[in-house]
Amino acid sequence: MDNNYPKILLVEDEKGLRIGTERLLTRKGHSVKSAENGTDGIKLGLAEDFDIALIDYKMPDVDGLQVLKEIKSKKPSTVCFIVTAYASYETAIEATRLGAFNYILKPFTPEELLHQIEKGFKQRKLLLEAEQLRIEREKNLLEIAHEKSRLNTIIESISSGVLLINREGKVVYFNKACLNKLHLEKLEIEDYILDKLPIQITELVNKIFNNHTVHKSYTTEVEIIPNGELIIDATCSPVPHPDGTFAGVVVVLKNITGLKKIEQLKSQFVSMVAHEMKTPLAAVLGYLDILVDPNMNVTQEKRTEYLNRSALRLKSSLDLVNDLLDISRMEMSTKKREIENIRINEIINNSLDVLELEINKKSLTIEKKYVENLPELKIDRDEVTKIINNLISNAVKYNNVNGKITISLNIENNFIILIVEDTGIGINADDQAKLFQQFFRAKNKQTRAISGTGLGLSIAKKLIEANHGKISVESVYKQGTKFIVHFPFK
Amino acid sequence: MQLNNKVKKILLVDDDIDLLEQNKLLLESKGIEVFTAESAEEGLEKFKEVKPDAAIIDLIMEQHDSGFVLCHKLKKTDIGKQIPIYILTSATYETGFKFSATTMEEQKWIKCDGIINKPVILDELLSKLNKFYE
Repeated sequence: MDNNYPKILLVEDEKGLRIGTERLLTRKGHSVKSAENGTDGIKLGLAEDFDIALIDYKMPDVDGLQVLKEIKSKKPSTVCFIVTAYASYETAIEATRLGAFNYILKPFTPEELLHQIEKGFKQRKLLLEAEQLRIEREKNLLEIAHEKSRLNTIIESISSGVLLINREGKVVYFNKACLNKLHLEKLEIEDYILDKLPIQITELVNKIFNNHTVHKSYTTEVEIIPNGELIIDATCSPVPHPDGTFAGVVVVLKNITGLKKIEQLKSQFVSMVAHEMKTPLAAVLGYLDILVDPNMNVTQEKRTEYLNRSALRLKSSLDLVNDLLDISRMEMSTKKREIENIRINEIINNSLDVLELEINKKSLTIEKKYVENLPELKIDRDEVTKIINNLISNAVKYNNVNGKITISLNIENNFIILIVEDTGIGINADDQAKLFQQFFRAKNKQTRAISGTGLGLSIAKKLIEANHGKISVESVYKQGTKFIVHFPFK
Repeated sequence: MQLNNKVKKILLVDDDIDLLEQNKLLLESKGIEVFTAESAEEGLEKFKEVKPDAAIIDLIMEQHDSGFVLCHKLKKTDIGKQIPIYILTSATYETGFKFSATTMEEQKWIKCDGIINKPVILDELLSKLNKFYE
């Protein structure tokens, strides 16, 4: 809108008057568009945004009041004048009722018209301003409404329970997650809640009520369903009024059952490790106590035996520590897997070289059954080495003197199948099921003198699965054991 | 400390051959005749054969409760009822096991005459034996 010169619509069927008026207004600097009948007047009035419309009352097609009505209904801020020679009280009332700002009597002088237009233009400015304010206000309201429903949606959809309690201990607000966190069937606004909450939470809420502090939050853990079925973490924080005074308490409830389970597993693992470490150390300490005790009559032969046993037990502790470090490396993923093309038979040969001494000590026979044209594996060298060392050293450790180890490599679909078979002590069916668990060792007369950490196979399994393979065991007690590994090569 | 003259033969049952050897040596140094078994099964056989004046059984052998099971069996025999049978263990709640034999109630349930924590402290064991045969 031009602030000084209004844009005017002139609807007038009388040609002379129309042209005269148009000329007068244009000369004054106003911009004018004319329509020579009511129909065009409506069309033009709706198509464009006019500041002012001068509408002739009497026109042959559509009368001025109809034009006024149409324009006002779509363009309420266009200031309309009815121009008429038939001024009557009724016309005036009707025109005003339909939204006309004023009416101008024919014939009019240029001054009269310009004066009316000036007044109308002021009105137009006021109307536009009011319109602007209204739009802004509506926008604000809309935003507030949006904001509120958005907040509601957010609070409803978060997985934590949110519970707002006022100073009387009544529920002011809660989201659905509250119900399952507290294991409650239902909850109503205005319910007195303090006797429904677990005592640990009520205590914290009361603490805040009594202190009237507005900054300090308190947190507690509560077992909602026994046996660790549902454990929550509840944080109670004071809620202030806008003026800073104490209004109530908000309780945020989080399900920490999973975390607690992990924590429990972790501490179980730690105590297992502690126990496994303690046993060999206690054995070594026992021998040392005997060896240094002057009151003990120990033969030289026995002394040597005790020292050898001590060394063996210490070695098993060292193996345990190494296995634990492997596990921690795997679990923390501190070492990046470096995939390269590996010829698995080379890894097997290396492993046999390392174990040569033990193999000879037990006079074991090694048989290799490899199919021809074995593809290369895409795998981390350290990992595959660890897997194969583990399986072959087990086949040596748990074998009988003069026994045999058969290592075969086959291809089936997209897998290289490695089978390490021994003729050793075997594993009974019960123990086979637990074989890959951490710290499991089959305990019987045969395994007693063999040192082991109970971690090797669990590590091997993890490594094989990390490389998208699988491991299984077949064994006949006192006859031998067969480990079957599928390595994908594609 | 010296042992009373009523305890002449002790049976040790433990699947840890090193601890078995050490405890055997300790007791032999006090002039006791020690018989050893490396499993619960062997322990039961040796018990019947030797008829010891006391038995010390490791808790966790082939199974987590091998020691309990053996103790129950021994306490059903005539000799078992008359002699002290101790359970040897380092398993407690603190070390993460679901069972510990530290309370009277638990010991009653096990039917043993006491719990001996690892490592065996000879003087404590001797005073236990002396008290039993007072």
